[in-house]
Amino acid sequence: MTAPAHDFDADIIVVGAGPAGSCAAIAAARAGKSVVLVERGPFPGSKNMYGGVVYPRILDELIPSWWETMPVQRWVVKRSTMLLSDTGALNVDFRANAWGAPPYNGATAYRPDFDNWLANHAVEAGARLVCSTTVTGLLRDSTGRIQGVSTDRPDGDLRAPIVIACDGVNSFLAKESGLYPHTDASNFTLGVKETLALPKHVIDERFGVRDNQGVDIEILGGTSGVNGGGFIYTNLDTVALGVVLKLPKLAAQQKRPEQIIAELKRHPAVAPLIEGAEVKEYSAHVIPEAGLEMMPTMVADGMLVAGDAAALCLAAGIWLEGVNFAMASGMYAGQAAAEAITKNDVSSRGLSGYTDRLEKTFVLRDHKKLRKVPHLVLSDRVQHKYPAFVAGVVERVFRVDNPHPKPGVRRIVREERKKAGIGLLDLLRDGWTGMRGFG
Amino acid sequence: MTITVCIKWVLPNRDGDERFAGISLADQAALETGLRVAEALNESCTVITVGPAAAETSLRDALACGAHDVLRVDAPADTDSAETARALATYCEHSRLVVCGDYSSDRGSGSVPALVAARLGRGQALGLIDVQIVGETLSVVRRLDGGRRERLSVTGPAVLSVEGSVARLRRASLRATLSANDAIIDVVTNDASGAIRRTPEAAPLRPYRPRARVVPSPTGSSALDRVRQITDTSSSKGHGETVVLEPGDAANRILESLHTWGYVQES
Repeated sequence: MTAPAHDFDADIIVVGAGPAGSCAAIAAARAGKSVVLVERGPFPGSKNMYGGVVYPRILDELIPSWWETMPVQRWVVKRSTMLLSDTGALNVDFRANAWGAPPYNGATAYRPDFDNWLANHAVEAGARLVCSTTVTGLLRDSTGRIQGVSTDRPDGDLRAPIVIACDGVNSFLAKESGLYPHTDASNFTLGVKETLALPKHVIDERFGVRDNQGVDIEILGGTSGVNGGGFIYTNLDTVALGVVLKLPKLAAQQKRPEQIIAELKRHPAVAPLIEGAEVKEYSAHVIPEAGLEMMPTMVADGMLVAGDAAALCLAAGIWLEGVNFAMASGMYAGQAAAEAITKNDVSSRGLSGYTDRLEKTFVLRDHKKLRKVPHLVLSDRVQHKYPAFVAGVVERVFRVDNPHPKPGVRRIVREERKKAGIGLLDLLRDGWTGMRGFG
Repeated sequence: MTITVCIKWVLPNRDGDERFAGISLADQAALETGLRVAEALNESCTVITVGPAAAETSLRDALACGAHDVLRVDAPADTDSAETARALATYCEHSRLVVCGDYSSDRGSGSVPALVAARLGRGQALGLIDVQIVGETLSVVRRLDGGRRERLSVTGPAVLSVEGSVARLRRASLRATLSANDAIIDVVTNDASGAIRRTPEAAPLRPYRPRARVVPSPTGSSALDRVRQITDTSSSKGHGETVVLEPGDAANRILESLHTWGYVQES
C-alpha cells in the first residue's frame, strides 16, 4: 500500500460503512491505496435498516464464492406479488428451487451481520475502519477544493484528496458539496418494518419452505389509503413485515405508520402468516424512491457519491432493490478513486471513471430503463383503484354463481373497471406506460 | 511507578456477540480516574485486562483515550475472580495506585479489587463515589450502608474501586483512535502455577434468592394492630445490634448472623 501524499492522512476517505462504503473501501484498498472508512455506529450495520433482501451477484467481482461466508438468513426461492383489496387478495407466486443453491439469486440477511461481514473484508483488504465517529462536514482548502472531512471526535479533522460519500439517504455531505440542488419530500418514502419472531418450523409450514429456503412477498395495496406498498420477508426464525409510504401522502392523511402496519397485519391474507408472532423490533428509515429523477450529480472535484446517498435505489414494483446498487456503485467509486490517485488527478474529470462505469452497467441502465415506473407504481390509480379492480375481476371469474350462467370475462372486466372508477383511456395509458417502462 | 487501571471485557451473555461486548461503566470511570490521576501526578497510566484476544478492542479504546501502555493477560473470558485477581496482582506490583471499576458488567460482585489489594498487601478504598485530586493526595468518598458516606485520604500505594458515576470516560481523538487501531498489544501468558483451581459448580445458573426468613405471626388483639405489627417501619425489628469484637470474632459473628437471617446457605 502506498503512503498518502504529504499533508494527507489517507488517499481516500469513505464515509459510511454500509454496503456502498465497504465495497468502495475494498476496491480502493485492493488497488493499493490508503483508505480510512468512517462509520458513525459502534460497528458497521448497527445503524442500518432495510426491508430484508439482498441480491449479491455483484459481489462476484469483489468476493469470489461470497455465498460460502456471507451471513445469510434464508436464500429466497419463492417470490410473490400480492395485490390486496380491502378484504381480498390476488397472489402470484413463482418458485425456483435452483435459487437455493450456488450461485444463488437473493437472500434475506440481517444488516448488522451483513454489513459487518462486508466491512471486515474492507479491513482485511487494508482499509482502516474507525467506528463511533460521525462526519460533520467537509474540509476545503483556500480554493474551495475538498480536502477531507471533519468529525465529531476531538482533533477530528481527517485529510485526504478524495472523499467518497456513502452516508446514506439524505446525504449531508452531498448536500454540503452542492451536488443535491434541493430536496423534495415527494421523492422519498418512509419505510417502516417490524421484525416478528416465530419458530422456524412455523415459518417453514406457513410459507411452504424448508431448511434455509426463504420467501419474498411484495404487496400492492394494504397501506390504508396511503400511497406505497408492503413487504414480507422470511428470516430463519423471524419474519420482516413492513410498509413503504409516500411521505407527502402520509403527512396529508395524518396517519401513524405503526397504525398502517397494524392494519396490514390484520388483513385476512396476511394475518394467518404471522399469527402468534412476537414483535422483536420496530424500525423506520427514509428511502429515496424517485430513481433517476432525484439523483444528485455523482462527481465533484475530490468527491464521489454512492449508494443511497446517490439515490441509487430501485423501487419499480416487482423490483425493489437497493443493496446491490449500493455495492456496485461503491465498488465503482472505489475503483475510480484509486485510478484518480494513481493518475494524480482528483478533479471531477479525473474521477469521471466513476460515472462511466455507472453508465455502462446495470446501475444507471436499469434506472434509465425504469425511470417512469416509480411514479407509475406510486400513482393514485395504481395504488387505490387497480388492486380492488384486479381483485374484483378475479373474484368474479372464480365465483360459481349457479344457477346464473358464467358471465364473460370481458363483461366482468368492463363492469369491475367501471365499479373501480377507472376510465378506459387511463387504463390504456397506464398499460402503455407500464409496457414501455418495464421494457 | 505507574497508575494501573484494571478493566474487564465482558460478553453480553454466554454465547454473546462480540460486537456488543465491552467494559462496564464502572470500568470506564476507573479508566478516566486513572488517566486523570496519572496526568495530575505526572505518572504513566497502564491498563491491564485478563481475558481473551477479543478483549484487545477495549485495550485499544484505552490507548486511544490516552493510556501509555496496555497489557493483556491471556485467559478465558470466564476466569474466576480469585484467578483474575492473582493475575492482575502479578502485574500491579510496582504500581503507585491501582484503580478498578466497582463492578463488571457480567456478574459484578466487586470482589476482584479487594482480592488484588489482599494479594498486594495494600490498603483499599472500595465502592468510591467521588475521587478528588488534592496535590499528591486523593480525597475520596466511599459509600457506606444506610446512606452514609465516608471520606478518606489516600496517600500511599492503594487499590481503589470506583462506581460508574465517578467520571465519564473522555472521547478519544480521531488520530489517537486510528493509531490505537494499528497498535501492537502486549500479551502475556497467564502463569497458572499459583492459580487457585476450583471445580465449576454443576448447579444451573439462576438468580440469587436469599433463604426465606421466618417471621412470627402477629399477636395484636385487632386486625389493625396485627397489620401494623407486620408493616410498621417506625420501630426496630431487632436486627440492629452493635458489638465490639476482635476482627476474627467479628467476622465469625457476621457470618453467623448472615446465616441466621438466611443470606448465607450451608455449603
